[in-house]
Amino acid sequence: MELADRAVGLLLSSISLSIFTYYTFWIIILPFVDSDHFIHKYFLPQDYAILVPVFAGITLLSLLSVFIGMVMLKSKKKKA
Amino acid sequence: MKHIVKILSLLVAISAFWIGLLQAAIVPRSHTWLLPIYFVVSLGCYGLLMVGVGLMQFPTCPQEAVLLQMDITEAKEFFRHKGVDVGSD
Repeated sequence: MELADRAVGLLLSSISLSIFTYYTFWIIILPFVDSDHFIHKYFLPQDYAILVPVFAGITLLSLLSVFIGMVMLKSKKKKA
Repeated sequence: MKHIVKILSLLVAISAFWIGLLQAAIVPRSHTWLLPIYFVVSLGCYGLLMVGVGLMQFPTCPQEAVLLQMDITEAKEFFRHKGVDVGSD
């Protein structure tokens, strides 16, 4: 099954690299480009550059705490 | 406890550096505001990249897997002769 492992690893690294380059472009390079360049079409407005990661982080944290809470409740129920 | 102190001091140093950068205005202001979140996102990205690279380079040992299966069947035979219930096969 190492082919499946390799494929998943490749997918993960490509996703991370693409997210990194897109975000770098969005935050660092785009403010220096003139506003009537065509490339602005491919990027959302810059306010989203803050909202999207913050929203994703908050979602991740809440999912994590829900999971921890469920595990704690289940263990307490088993002991009682 | 020492670990927490270390991590907290690192955080304080980074925020002091960021506030200093804000005051000095070397980089344009709007860039400096976005810098912390950029670093957090890039840190997450780096973690994901390391996981992906580790997955791709993980060494499987086919010979060891075969030997392990042989060991398992041998142990099961041994215990079955001694009368222990070894369950499903």
